[in-house]
Amino acid sequence: MATPYSRVLDLVKVQCRVFSMTFNPDRLRLGNKVLRQRLRGPTLAAWYPKKTVSFRDLQDAVKPLGLTTFDEAEDDREEAIQIAKLRGKGRPKKKRTAAESRSAKKKK
Amino acid sequence: MSQFRSKKLDIGGFINARVIRDHTKRKVFEQYEPDRQALRYIIRNTSLPQRVRAQAQLQLSTMHAYTRPTQIKNRCVAGGIARSVFRNFRLARYQFRMQALAGELPGVRKASW
Amino acid sequence: MSFISPYSCLLRATRSLQLATASRTLSSSSRFRIVADAKFPVVPSSNDKLQPLTQSQRPVESPVKADGNSSVETPVKEWANRLTDINFNTRLPRSVQALYLRPLRRKAEYGLPVCDLQLRSYSVRNLEFFADFAIRAAYYLKLPVSGPVPLPKITERWTFIRSNFVHKKSKENFERITTRRLIQIKDGNPQAVQAWLAFLRKHAFYGIGMKANVWEYESLDVGKNMDDTLPAVEKNLEPHLSRFGRQQTETSPTQKPLSDFLGNERLSLKKGPLVKVRSV
Repeated sequence: MATPYSRVLDLVKVQCRVFSMTFNPDRLRLGNKVLRQRLRGPTLAAWYPKKTVSFRDLQDAVKPLGLTTFDEAEDDREEAIQIAKLRGKGRPKKKRTAAESRSAKKKK
Repeated sequence: MSQFRSKKLDIGGFINARVIRDHTKRKVFEQYEPDRQALRYIIRNTSLPQRVRAQAQLQLSTMHAYTRPTQIKNRCVAGGIARSVFRNFRLARYQFRMQALAGELPGVRKASW
Repeated sequence: MSFISPYSCLLRATRSLQLATASRTLSSSSRFRIVADAKFPVVPSSNDKLQPLTQSQRPVESPVKADGNSSVETPVKEWANRLTDINFNTRLPRSVQALYLRPLRRKAEYGLPVCDLQLRSYSVRNLEFFADFAIRAAYYLKLPVSGPVPLPKITERWTFIRSNFVHKKSKENFERITTRRLIQIKDGNPQAVQAWLAFLRKHAFYGIGMKANVWEYESLDVGKNMDDTLPAVEKNLEPHLSRFGRQQTETSPTQKPLSDFLGNERLSLKKGPLVKVRSV
């Protein structure tokens, strides 16, 4: 004997309540699949490695205490810039106004 | 976009403008993901009134481009390259090869069979 | 259910493990000594290698002594003599001796699986060693264990273009082979299983990932027990669930209707340029 449809519906309704599912006998599109999706943001945002502590940070932390640090690479760089300046190969002076930059171009 | 970019550099590894931009997009997407999902739910729910759904569609389409997941592109962590990036190492092919030959990737070695 | 990454557990190998290996090498050499003693006497001087073979089987006598001052009684024993004394008259502790034998096992009474531990590594040596260690640890915790079962290897292969630019035809292959071992605990006390897992985590070996599936068995009145514990659980969860699905920044806990959400300015404000309606 076939069970009446209303009875089956009742059963499904109770089932949905017990297991906290959505009762949707008409198969409407309720968009619940969007709610089921897991949030992808945290995994996507963790792609690039986090910033780690550098020597520069140490320098910045130590300077207010009145201690001096010695960064060899930085000193080398400054020295090289000095040498370049003496040879006339330093960076050009910053043009402050539009007129200055135009005159610089005209010279050529 | 500059309003989203963090004022201080917050990633390590290889840095260039494109890497920073992509990282910014990732963070913005993470922040706005619940909003986007809520709007998507409203749009897809056929039991809601049509007007509400249309409104939600409009909202979603007017959200900033950086909140969109399709803007995100996987880039090589060691070289910033966007092509041929392997997801489980986050490295592009050439960087992978260099690191594998240097023995920096555990378990990876030259294969011959 | 979490893999301990092989990189993170760098050289957290324990002192006890190192001790075990050290004593193993030491006494394996001494064992070899015993065997050697039985066959040939120990030769203290390197000059006459042929001589001891012709002599008696006792390892005590050194050939030099036999030649010269054999009549003088020496209070201090010869080095070889002392060694043989140690070898014959003393023994290692049983627990140390057990290290040279196959690991001991308990017999499972019911054979009900309680915990599956999967070990993964890129090097078989480390994996074998740690699997052995885990089984011995399980024995001393009175846990019946089956395994280690060698699971199929996972081979990943990649082919790359050798150069960073063009030259498509010249390629290079790389591979990564993950070897796996499965150790299953049968009908053990859940607390003992937890203790075993904690012990393994504490003494995690470098380059080995672990994944454990633990099954717990309940009596038939599960529902009743759950109902009993429900109020306490709800009380604990209440502060978390009250803010479920909310923005972290949002402070007002009032329920807002959907129309308010859609009309919310916050969504439309933070969109940068080209958002405002142009007033022409």
